[in-house]
Amino acid sequence: MSGDTLFTQIGRALPRKEDRRLLLGKGRFLDDIVLPGALHVCFVRAPLAHARIVGIDSAEAQALPGVIGVFTGADLARWTTKLRLEPAIEGLHPVQMTALPIDKVRFQGDPVACVVATDRYVAEDAAELVVVDFEPLDAVASFEKALEPGAPLVDDSLPSNLVSHQTFAAGDVAARRDEAFSIVEARFGLHRHTHAPLETRGCLADWDAGREHLTFHIGTQAPHPLRSQLAARLKLAESQVTVVSPDIGGAFGQKIALYREELCVAALSRHLGRPVRWREDRLENLTSASHARESVCRTRVSVAADGRILGLELWLTEDFGAYCFYPANYMARVVAMILTGPYRIADYAFDVQVALTNKCGNGPMRAPMAITSWVMDGTIDAIAARLGLDPVEVRRRNTIRVADLPYTMPTGEVLEDVTPLETLEAAVAAIDVPGFRARQAEGREQGRYLGLGLCTVVESTTYGSKFYKAAGIPGSGHEAAWVRIEPSGAVNASVGLMGSGQGYESPLSQAVAEGLGVTAEAVRLQMGNTDVAPYGMGSRGGRGATAGGGTLYLCAQKAQAHVLRLAAHVLNLNDATGLRLREARVERLLDGDWQPTSLTLADLARTAYLDPTALPAGMAPGLDFSLTYDPPPMTYSNATHACEVELTPATGELRIRRYLVAEDCGTVLNPIVVRGQQQGAVAMGLSGALFEEVVYDADGQNLSATLGDYMIATATEMPEIEILALHTPSRRTPAGIKGMAEGGIMGAIGALSNAVNDALAPFGVVADQMPLSPQRLRDLLRGATSKNAGKVPPK
Amino acid sequence: MKPAPFTYHRPATLDAVLDLLAAHGADAQILAGGQSLGPLLNLRMAMPEHVIDINDLADLGQMRRRDDWFEIGALVRHHAVATSPEGRRCMPLLAAAVGTIGHYAIRQRGTMGGSLVQADPAAQIPLVALALDAEVTIQSRRGVRSVPVADFVLSAMEVALDDDEIVTGLGFPLQSPTQGWSFQNFCRRRGDYALASVAVILDLAEDGTLADLRCCVGGTAPVAQRLADLEAGARGHHPTPAWQRDTAQQIAATVPAEDDSKATEAFRREIVEVLSIRALAEAVKRARVSEVQP
Amino acid sequence: MTGPARREITLSVNGERRSLTVAPRKLLSDALREDLILTGTHVGCEHGVCGACTVLIDGRPARSCLAFAVQMEGHEITTIEKVAEGGEFSPLQQALHDHHALQCGFCTAGIIMTFQAFLAEVPDPTEDEVRDVLSGNLCRCTGYQPIVAAILSAARVMRGEGQA
Repeated sequence: MSGDTLFTQIGRALPRKEDRRLLLGKGRFLDDIVLPGALHVCFVRAPLAHARIVGIDSAEAQALPGVIGVFTGADLARWTTKLRLEPAIEGLHPVQMTALPIDKVRFQGDPVACVVATDRYVAEDAAELVVVDFEPLDAVASFEKALEPGAPLVDDSLPSNLVSHQTFAAGDVAARRDEAFSIVEARFGLHRHTHAPLETRGCLADWDAGREHLTFHIGTQAPHPLRSQLAARLKLAESQVTVVSPDIGGAFGQKIALYREELCVAALSRHLGRPVRWREDRLENLTSASHARESVCRTRVSVAADGRILGLELWLTEDFGAYCFYPANYMARVVAMILTGPYRIADYAFDVQVALTNKCGNGPMRAPMAITSWVMDGTIDAIAARLGLDPVEVRRRNTIRVADLPYTMPTGEVLEDVTPLETLEAAVAAIDVPGFRARQAEGREQGRYLGLGLCTVVESTTYGSKFYKAAGIPGSGHEAAWVRIEPSGAVNASVGLMGSGQGYESPLSQAVAEGLGVTAEAVRLQMGNTDVAPYGMGSRGGRGATAGGGTLYLCAQKAQAHVLRLAAHVLNLNDATGLRLREARVERLLDGDWQPTSLTLADLARTAYLDPTALPAGMAPGLDFSLTYDPPPMTYSNATHACEVELTPATGELRIRRYLVAEDCGTVLNPIVVRGQQQGAVAMGLSGALFEEVVYDADGQNLSATLGDYMIATATEMPEIEILALHTPSRRTPAGIKGMAEGGIMGAIGALSNAVNDALAPFGVVADQMPLSPQRLRDLLRGATSKNAGKVPPK
Repeated sequence: MKPAPFTYHRPATLDAVLDLLAAHGADAQILAGGQSLGPLLNLRMAMPEHVIDINDLADLGQMRRRDDWFEIGALVRHHAVATSPEGRRCMPLLAAAVGTIGHYAIRQRGTMGGSLVQADPAAQIPLVALALDAEVTIQSRRGVRSVPVADFVLSAMEVALDDDEIVTGLGFPLQSPTQGWSFQNFCRRRGDYALASVAVILDLAEDGTLADLRCCVGGTAPVAQRLADLEAGARGHHPTPAWQRDTAQQIAATVPAEDDSKATEAFRREIVEVLSIRALAEAVKRARVSEVQP
Repeated sequence: MTGPARREITLSVNGERRSLTVAPRKLLSDALREDLILTGTHVGCEHGVCGACTVLIDGRPARSCLAFAVQMEGHEITTIEKVAEGGEFSPLQQALHDHHALQCGFCTAGIIMTFQAFLAEVPDPTEDEVRDVLSGNLCRCTGYQPIVAAILSAARVMRGEGQA
């Protein structure tokens, strides 16, 4: 089914163009940009989770030599507008926020004042001297507490902390329950994560008072949407703001929204008439940037005796934190919409609640729908356990087959060109399930506890505008590109994406090169500057390849068609039939064979720009092409993850003995980059499931403010990750691209958890709460009895 | 995360250090490797007026064997101890434990004296120094004194060091070649502070019974714990697997242990039991090997 | 920067004698980046955990966020800018490129500096040893697998055992 053999540029294992500068220490990250005279900002942050701001005394701070000023929420309110999130979505309360809090703080780390000084060290000295008089309020540090009647309100403008509540039903789940052979219930608790990119947030604002223009340097995944927000909130025209994104040291979803700190920095540059810069420190990043994922799902599934799913119900509650930089239903809704994923389920209902709490606000983190596949495949394993069936067999009986396609999910989402059964079988074969079961049984006799987990993922990758509309989420899914062949024949191209480490430059060059008929080495991508790039929706989800690569490919095809029309004219042909561009040379089909001509792209470019009178009638000078494209409502990749673990019951330690992924992400622009994304996503998923955890105490104090406490896995904890690549192109996208890069997290959480529960099975306990820390596993095992080995160690 | 201002001193001699400590002691911090002090300064959890950099004191960077002692200057880096052939031969427990401190780059800078004075409850050096009956050498303008490490570490991050004093070195009685030993720790990730750790040293008599046992547990309480009663009761026993299991249980049951945000008391005791089994087994194995290959 | 008197110091950076005037509290990482405009050294946490800012002090790897510039008087600092002589990749840099062992590249300089030193000390490490040393450098992008492969490959090349 693979279509890549037709391609000469797409699919090449072209090394990354970014590597040279990054390996030599010549990358250009935000802090590497020097603007003389730039002032430095440090924020004064709330030490309490919930408190009224009674007064702010900054006299002593202002008196410190080197301090330019100390600014509060009231100051910023004069220069900025509020962020209002009021999409007309049923069940979602509108919310708004000021640039800095004025009346009260809502989480520990909430910024209350902004110190500007000539030097970062001095700014920090001054921040310590700002005295804020707080009147403490009761805090709600869990969604359970937040949703109790009479709970303190996180947002005083809302009737309760339930900021969003949405329900849905397709078919008749009650009737399916009545028919069911068995009804199985399961719980899935995913803890609070944070993105923790190696480079924290930061920005550099440069207001040009003469031109009345703001240049805003910031590592952002979405330069144009950021520019729109920034201009609106500063009451500037979009033509008065240029957003420039340099190299980014990782983002993972944390660098999409316009955050309050960034707005302050921009407003202060304009107010002070000087460049102003801010570098978030690691404590701020871990406590105050953006958090993610904390949610609990419960499923109830009606099944037939053979394990077939008759009906599925989901209850999801997300702990959203204190502020909404995104509509509160933004992440949870997607989980509910795509939950059924690879399985044939017609009767489905969900109830999704989102609660505000006195914690740092949530945002999308690489795989905002991370929990989805764990919930679905964990439910499958619960069915298998209840009915005494082989989990592989239960998957087979429920998995969508090629013959079922296109398959309309109960939520209306349509799956096309996906291969979940094929990835399942590939993973099952590669991990050798029967061989594993034999080793597992033998191990249990010897007091060794192995577990095997499977997780099939259907990853929503490219969100087209129609999906957003259907999901009740505001936003566009379109993307924009231009391709420009310069008079010398050099090829520049641009798109509205901005990479944050994925390695866009080679694969996107390959998309352009394929469409145009040149080599990828000859294409230069210009991204991140809103004056240069066209207005696109930026990098988020898994849209880079389909939306970005697809738009560039289509635009480059348009360019090639034009170039060939010119070539036909120069070659005295009637039209361009039988012409193509390959490696920047025009080729002609003669007697079924492609023969090079003497014409090169450089020749044609020279003519197009410098000899317009030689152009055919009606052809405009120059070779400058642009194109916008709205992808299908949704594209889906699919994968099956298989994970083998060994559990040490005495300590709760886990060792991942083997990890593999069979993944079908359609046409691959660049296999090197795709493999890196697959392995990196799995690693991030495993790190989160095993180690990372944002911890708040009952008063809302963050206990995980350093990288010693917020534990990111190191090289000694991460396994080798084997990849089995399948390539079923999408028939609905340019070049058959599907997108990927988040599914690895979905699969890792699910496969690991299912493996751990397989290892735990003899003890009769189920791990339903992440992270799977040794202590949590010991808490489950303490007092439990193994069917094989009697009383649990330690002995 | 930038340090508060301080006055920087870089004395060239120990005398000059002692003068500075005499003058500024209460307001001064000694900067050795900086691997613990650095973060505290950057986080402004430490804001000394004076920072006294002792990295020029080459004498404090020496380690050597003298008679039945192994003397290690306060400024000797972890990496040097962990990789020194003589250290690994004469002080295998110490070398093994120090080799697990932090990470490779951290061990290049981190110092023996610094780790000891930092007195983190979960740190390696206070634990193995306790197990090895190390002596701490302390100097000030008032003179030189030597204190058993057991009397030096008072509580978490608290040591018996006056404001005008500096630790100049540690002395370790040599381990005998026939001694069995083991260091075991339980960390969430490589290089993290341990949730619990166990150090065991033992000597076997000719009849295979225990002539001497030393057993210390770290990370469970504000200071590393030496289990003296258990050690005394162990003498004369055959260290059979059954004895090892019983002893490990006894260690886990009796060692002071506390809840904190990293681990519960119950979990810590379970970890201590497992680490103790591993440590006792390894130490016994090493002791027997030593007997046949002196 | 206010506070106690700034000092003039002289140190060797990448083989060149450099003089600069710094406040005592100025971190080595900041002095390298801001005063010497050697921005290849990245700052990721400022508490010694992430390893991104690792440089060589007198040939040994060290967190530059845990040292003060003023301490470096008379010492020799080596940064990522020195690794590629004449713009040519070192074997380690080449191997990292060949194995797709970097993504955002923010942690990469710290990893290179750590292993320039480690491979000089241990030319033939096992995979476990490589992973142990690499555990001092956090990478949020790759999952470490290609970095480990690249380091082992570079070690082979540096031992004269042929290409990757």
